[in-house]
Amino acid sequence: MVAETAREFEALEAQAHTLLSTFVEAGHEAVAPAVLQPADIYLDVIGEALRARSYVFTDPDGDEYCLRPDLTVPICRLHLERHPEGTTQGNYCYNGSAFRFQPRGADAAHPREFRQCGIEAIGSADAEKTDAQTLARILKALEAAGLKEWKLRIGDLSLFRALLEAIDMPQRWRERLRHRFWRPLAFREELENLTHAAAAKNAADLPDDLLTALDPGKPEEAAKKVCAYFDEQNIDLIGIRTLEEISLNLARIAADQRAERLPEATANLIEGYIGVNAPARAAGARVKDLMRDTGVDIQPALDCYLKRLQHLSDMGVDIARAEFSAEFGRSLEYYTGFVFEVLVPDLGDKSPVAGGGRYDGLMKMCGAPEDVPAVGGAIHTERLLKAVRG
Amino acid sequence: MTERLQFALPSKGRLMEQATEVLAKAGLEVRKTGNERGYRGEIVGLKNLDILFVSASEIAWYLKTGKAHLGITGADLIQERMTDWETRVEMLKPLGFGFADVVIAVPNCWLDVRTVSNLDELAGGFRATHGRWFRVATKYINLSRQYFVAKGFNDYRIVESLGATEGTPAAGTADLIVDITTTGTTLKANGLRILDDGIILKSQANLIASNVANWTPQTREVQNEIMSRLGA
Repeated sequence: MVAETAREFEALEAQAHTLLSTFVEAGHEAVAPAVLQPADIYLDVIGEALRARSYVFTDPDGDEYCLRPDLTVPICRLHLERHPEGTTQGNYCYNGSAFRFQPRGADAAHPREFRQCGIEAIGSADAEKTDAQTLARILKALEAAGLKEWKLRIGDLSLFRALLEAIDMPQRWRERLRHRFWRPLAFREELENLTHAAAAKNAADLPDDLLTALDPGKPEEAAKKVCAYFDEQNIDLIGIRTLEEISLNLARIAADQRAERLPEATANLIEGYIGVNAPARAAGARVKDLMRDTGVDIQPALDCYLKRLQHLSDMGVDIARAEFSAEFGRSLEYYTGFVFEVLVPDLGDKSPVAGGGRYDGLMKMCGAPEDVPAVGGAIHTERLLKAVRG
Repeated sequence: MTERLQFALPSKGRLMEQATEVLAKAGLEVRKTGNERGYRGEIVGLKNLDILFVSASEIAWYLKTGKAHLGITGADLIQERMTDWETRVEMLKPLGFGFADVVIAVPNCWLDVRTVSNLDELAGGFRATHGRWFRVATKYINLSRQYFVAKGFNDYRIVESLGATEGTPAAGTADLIVDITTTGTTLKANGLRILDDGIILKSQANLIASNVANWTPQTREVQNEIMSRLGA
């Protein structure tokens, strides 16, 4: 994709015009945030892995910038610039370029540069309704552009969070499982650790009598003991982490080792939930059955899921075309709740024509004082054009 | 394009000595041509071949772009300089010198950190306490990033370091490092310890062919001759 013909450009522009007008009609303000974005915010949100898939560079002043890999973060920044407290409601729509490095080389299915057209709804309190609205508007825009055949893939990360909350385990373990959810292999390993063998390898080589003596409830005592160990072993304290930090964390690891393991049944429940893959309505029933069998109650989160489905149905979205997958959303770290993808048979499951979800934590990561409810969706416009042309 | 095989060798230091030694043992005597301070050479008795003396890290770039058909350099430099090295070059033969491990090392006093996964677990709390992510000092930016991605660790920042990397944790400019080590003595002297799963790559000097160089029957013939003498 060295260049495109003027005709291609005009076709994309015309399509973008159609998409944007449906968004504007629905009450979204059209905005055009900067293409160049400070790399810092993306690095904080996405982490160092961003560099492996984005164009990050240093400007002559030594500041790091990137070509935006998406438009959601730029729009959060734009909203914050207008409303520093962040909580004011804002509905935006956009059409513009985004850039991704393609390690295996770029091709039509994996372009370095592509145009996204989408919407963001920031600060709206009725989460389920706004989720449904966002998806309904994306679908309406797609259909206005001429797309007829599509199916939906949906997920809900808040169900998983609710499940962890409802299961009895140390808060630390919960956080660990939640953190690892994004990395399926690490997650399985963690679950295995918490269920079976003590995480013994965490503290290999350390004398048992040091570990058994450490108590996270008595941090000062733990620090003294670790300090004595340093002296005895001639270990220098170097780096920014203090003796207190190290000894407290070590004490927590030691306490984890002593703690009772997760019951097998609990691990099975978690695995069972992650394995749920079913049509949207049936999935709700499946999750309910799982909970009933194990006596774990996540009814409020499940009610939200069903309420969202009802909203979608009321807004005219054909729910029968939606497939729920508990695992879906695992590769997109900033999503916090509802997630969706619109798939087209011709393009395959790996190249969704649109996608989006709820990202309640992102505004805070961009600088808002508190979490702000937010949800959005974006259309991959080159793919859409291809799908519509057939 | 030239019909002569371009063979890139390290231009100085131990690597150059060892490379010429290995070649000499195989009956391939490397000789400088022209000025003694020049950067060109030949192999006695081999036609259609030029030796290019280049710095070890430049050799990776010569092979990547096809400026050289063959080269001798460390696997670490090849893998660091090319994200797609498997398609760009072919590792023909490990040569038994230039051994070095690319490793992740943390302060030895971090008793609570034995694995990358421990780092991952700690990252959020570290940031809450110190107001920034872990800093990893390294010149192996790509190797580090790929390894950490594979391990699911993402909450850190790389600080590029071009020398004395092992001193950065004590100096406070970084928290941990990714660096090469042969015996581990320097790491120890700087109060550092290799993580249990901290060996990213076991590297040594290799004979390497570029897949993107302009290969002709003549240059292939020269390559085959070199390889058969080296027993590759």
